[in-house]
Amino acid sequence: MSAQLQENRDSVTLYGRRWSRENADLSRTFDILVVIIMFIAITAAFHLHFQLTVGDWDFWVDWKDRQYWVTATPILLMAFPAALQYVFWEKFRLPIAATVCMLGLTIGIWITRYSGFHTWSYFPFSMVWPATMIAGGLILDAVLLLTGSALITAIVGGMSFGLLFYPANWPLLAPFRLPMEAMNSLVSVGDYIGYAYTRTSTPEYLRFIERGTLRTFGGHSAVVSAFFSGFVCILVYLLWWYIGMAFARVATLPNRMKIFMGLHDRGAEGKDA
Amino acid sequence: MRLTSPVSGLLLGLLAFVAASEVAAHGERNQEPFLRMRTAHFYDVAWSTGKVNVNEDVVIEGKFRLFEDWPANLPEPEVAFLGNGTPGPVFVRTESWLNGQPAIQSVPLKIDRDYAFKTVLKGRIPGDHHVHPMVNVEGAGPLMGPGSWVQVAGRANDFVLPLTTLDGTKIDNLETWGVSSVVGWHSVWIVIAILWLAWWTRRPLLIPRLVAIDEGREKLLISRADLAAGAVLIVLTVSVVVIGFIWAENTYPRTIPLQGGRAVVKPLPRSDAPVEVIVERATYDVPGRSMQIRASVTNQGGRPIQFGEFATSGLRFVNRELPAAMAMVSPTYPKDLLPPSGLKLDDATPLAPGETRSILFDMTDAAWETERLTSLINDPDNRVGGLLFCFDDQGDRVIANVSGPIVPIFKDLVAHQGMTH
Ligand SMILES: [Cu+2]
Repeated sequence: MSAQLQENRDSVTLYGRRWSRENADLSRTFDILVVIIMFIAITAAFHLHFQLTVGDWDFWVDWKDRQYWVTATPILLMAFPAALQYVFWEKFRLPIAATVCMLGLTIGIWITRYSGFHTWSYFPFSMVWPATMIAGGLILDAVLLLTGSALITAIVGGMSFGLLFYPANWPLLAPFRLPMEAMNSLVSVGDYIGYAYTRTSTPEYLRFIERGTLRTFGGHSAVVSAFFSGFVCILVYLLWWYIGMAFARVATLPNRMKIFMGLHDRGAEGKDA
Repeated sequence: MRLTSPVSGLLLGLLAFVAASEVAAHGERNQEPFLRMRTAHFYDVAWSTGKVNVNEDVVIEGKFRLFEDWPANLPEPEVAFLGNGTPGPVFVRTESWLNGQPAIQSVPLKIDRDYAFKTVLKGRIPGDHHVHPMVNVEGAGPLMGPGSWVQVAGRANDFVLPLTTLDGTKIDNLETWGVSSVVGWHSVWIVIAILWLAWWTRRPLLIPRLVAIDEGREKLLISRADLAAGAVLIVLTVSVVVIGFIWAENTYPRTIPLQGGRAVVKPLPRSDAPVEVIVERATYDVPGRSMQIRASVTNQGGRPIQFGEFATSGLRFVNRELPAAMAMVSPTYPKDLLPPSGLKLDDATPLAPGETRSILFDMTDAAWETERLTSLINDPDNRVGGLLFCFDDQGDRVIANVSGPIVPIFKDLVAHQGMTH
């Protein structure tokens, strides 16, 4: 056993403090309960956030474009990992928050794609498969562990978070970018899937995708989008790190309600009402 | 963020549920009547069959006119898409055409012009499905044509959608194409994430660590092995991303971006023998379920014409006295959209070339009620619209626009006073 954990028969030393065996076991039970509850809560909250923000870009294979999907997904995903990294790291020195978020999100997404989109609404998985976002979360956690610094995690981790999204998903996406001919037109396999499987309320023009621009990037719009996304991720990371800090603080307010109700509250106000 | 997209996404499952459980309709009657009577008028709509097996085709063909009296509060159809009103992907759309042009992309359309459409749907999910032609107009929403029941028989598991890509790749079934590699790569990342979480959660987590930080012993919380694991994780993550990317580039060297272009479709030519209809007074007798339109009609063509049909919102009031009009009614057209009493006129003598006459058109049927067109009274814009089909003595058809304000009448007595001379 390492210096972290030293045990003998009745007591155990955890991180430099002696615990009775019974208390240590209780604490471990508490760990397990809280971990399960936290994992479900984070999964549910992050998944809701994801559905409401990234939404269609991740729902459909014919929305996963080189511009908006690549730019928007990492930026919108950054909120929860950054805020929870503050809590997990500052309070517990645990570099796992981003990975927990991404793993929970992945599980949550697969549940809705399987039940809501596939089983219930008949969409094939080739149309509604989710992107993978775990790679970015692993990098955020590892950088925070190695540097211990929110700023460096924002810069290095945030940039990597944006940059890795597209290449990590390319092996999933590439089969759907093969060219094909449909009705004398050139389309990608993904376009055709979106065309073939009717979404009554989502016609073609509603797709918020790259439509082409005169400001050309030599056909490398995904690279430009990924760098832009990484840059914004740096800022969003810092913003949410501080939001995490604000939410982790325990704040109290003087109880004005008591005063309104005719009860004296000397403690907070320091004088008679 | 755009609110409509995630909201529509979230509602998808719910919509599909409503569509599946409400057998009679899937929302087409819930649109405001003034939208349904003054936007896209579908006509000559035909379904190739009312019953297919899984993997068999049903072809829907017809025409629509984007109405001259387009509601002022709707955006013009500058971006439109030929859709199909079905309860989700119970069919697969393999082809769709607008005036012979592919309709896989969105197109700008013109008001007061006609378009011919053709959609090929391949049966996928067994059941009785209500199938409508539909035009989506950006900012206006789905404009539904008439609906007909199509039964899909067989087993859903038998459905396949094979195709060959331009680089020669044979796809056996588009339903499952690429899914195994999606699942494979997700699994790789899930396993790495679980290993990372296991590395940390195998040791005492919350209270002992919190206490250690409080008491200034946080150095004990992270060991050299932890730091080494972090370094390994970075190398591993970047390596897996790079390996995956290279694998994809080698496996699929020829790829293209999503195609988001707009197509161009020319409208059908206009008739060179127009009929002009100016509505003098239109009334709707609420208890009598009767619409009456008195209009001044001018025949600007070179041959005498008679009036064969008033069509609005999928409903077809056909003049049963006119064989040319009855010949246009296919036996497969949904009966609920063909009111039995049809179109009645106060003066059925043909309108001579150049002649103008005031004519009373009478359309009386409970269909106004069942199609919920009577709720026009609750609309902020009480105008009625429809197409009047005129036939000359050779059987050629001219389609005139009819539109004007409409006045509800709540008592039979008043209705008769108002409409008789
Ligand atoms: Cu219907």
